[in-house]
Amino acid sequence: MSALLTLSGLSITARLADGELRLLDDVDLEIRRGQIVGVVGESGSGKTTLARAVVGLLDRNVRVDQGTIAVAGEQVVAPGVDRTGRVRGSAVGMVFQDASRSLNPLLKVRTQLAEVLRRHVRDITRAEVERRSVEVLAQMRIDDPGRVLASYPHQLSGGLRQRVAIGLAVVTRPALVIADECTTALDVTTQTKVVDLFRTLVDELGIGLLFVTHDLMLASDLCDRIAVMSGGRVVEQGDALTVLDHPQQEYTRRLLAAIPSWS
Amino acid sequence: MKASTVRRVGGRLASLFASLLIALSLAFLLGRLSGDPTATILGPMAPPEQREALRHELGLDLPVVVQYLDYLKGVFTGDLGQSLQFYQSNTSMIADRLPFTLQLVGAGMALALLVGIPLGVLAATREGTWWDRGASTLALLGQSVPVFWFGMMLVVLFAVKLGWLPAGQSGSPKHLILPALTMSVYPMAHIARLTRASMSDALAEPYIDSARARGISTRRVVWRHAFTNAMMPILTIVVLQTGILLSGAVAVEYVYSWPGLGQLALQAIQFRDFPLVQAIVVFGALVFVLLNLLVDVLHSIVDPRVR
Repeated sequence: MSALLTLSGLSITARLADGELRLLDDVDLEIRRGQIVGVVGESGSGKTTLARAVVGLLDRNVRVDQGTIAVAGEQVVAPGVDRTGRVRGSAVGMVFQDASRSLNPLLKVRTQLAEVLRRHVRDITRAEVERRSVEVLAQMRIDDPGRVLASYPHQLSGGLRQRVAIGLAVVTRPALVIADECTTALDVTTQTKVVDLFRTLVDELGIGLLFVTHDLMLASDLCDRIAVMSGGRVVEQGDALTVLDHPQQEYTRRLLAAIPSWS
Repeated sequence: MKASTVRRVGGRLASLFASLLIALSLAFLLGRLSGDPTATILGPMAPPEQREALRHELGLDLPVVVQYLDYLKGVFTGDLGQSLQFYQSNTSMIADRLPFTLQLVGAGMALALLVGIPLGVLAATREGTWWDRGASTLALLGQSVPVFWFGMMLVVLFAVKLGWLPAGQSGSPKHLILPALTMSVYPMAHIARLTRASMSDALAEPYIDSARARGISTRRVVWRHAFTNAMMPILTIVVLQTGILLSGAVAVEYVYSWPGLGQLALQAIQFRDFPLVQAIVVFGALVFVLLNLLVDVLHSIVDPRVR
């Protein structure tokens, strides 16, 4: 089976006032259907750049030097090439760090879901928009989709807003979902619920999930594979358990040692 | 309606009423402070008995408190008194001049919005580029150039040198072009700068990146998501600017001999026609209070969080 997402030899550079900064350096990564891949690293390790590159949300001063990104076998990014518009929101959905603020405060949840559906599903009827909106909120384990649809973001709790944000990313049934630090702003209980939700979504829908986090323990709970990043490079990559139990790299060992333990 | 909403609206109305009352009192007080109008009206050579008679006729010999209460009663019953120089009711004179000022302000503000908003949005969406720098420089110029000077330069160019447009007075749509253009320059620049700032804040919000990641088109992200969120400060300024211009676009009206309220105010001041000055100030205060109310209403329409 071909991969959902393939990064091969991806190098990305930012042009700054006082020179250039390598954000990603020769990164290889692959995600298959039904697989959760964790990208773990400290701030500045390049994990967010990696996530944003896939949907073409790099800053103006950032460019791809080498390598390619392919989504479901189709090349979308290469040096001087940006075809991410063809997969953004349709084949690839993205959930951001601060979900509360990733909803437009002036629009009802219903309007925001309808906007995405109308954009990506050709000739969709009004009834179909409503049906799929309710369906996706139910998938997000929201008990009263009707009320949530009719609400403005500020009328919902943080946890609900997070679910709505995830719903907005998956309502178009993308094959791949990218979650960028999307549990960081949540308290531990809500965090667990969101992680469980992702697991269920991957199992039920057979999507691939790229889970970006600085939290190694969280990644080990959720992910099948883990890529550890540092200084723009993937320093270690493999099965989650292998990486955690038998880290091959000094950096990974240091990351693991930094986790406080009970014993 | 929720109880908190009722309380908020009530509080707002009370504070607007208080502002209005303060403005009315100031208008009255300043009129009294500017000296005895009978000297101006009758000339410096008039005999004292004649001036005394006029003072009596105008009610100026009554105690100030009585005059003040009479004045307030008049304002709230729609009677703004009589002009000393035109022997007409001030209300009807304001009503005669208002359409001209409305035309001028309407055309000027429309032009300001039509140019200022796209300019600001352009600058914000291309932050740091030459487009941005160009638009910002233009806006700075627009805010700094003196209105009367700019007006006269337009007259020199388009009326005197080229002869394309009339140099002043009203009567046809052609007469409106230069005054409206002159009037629009300051608000246009102000709106452009504010739009630039407000849009660039909005564009940095996480929901903008999220919308882009969902594949929403750039145009829709800019206008539907960023602009609607950036709109409130712009709306506020537009409405308040309109208020400032409505109650006296003095310089523009003077340069173009435009028969609006600003001209009327000038004439009233020159003649020490204090009832008319007072009436125009009162009218301006009323307009302001109403426009403030309009801003509140618009705000609650745009933003569900303040409903």
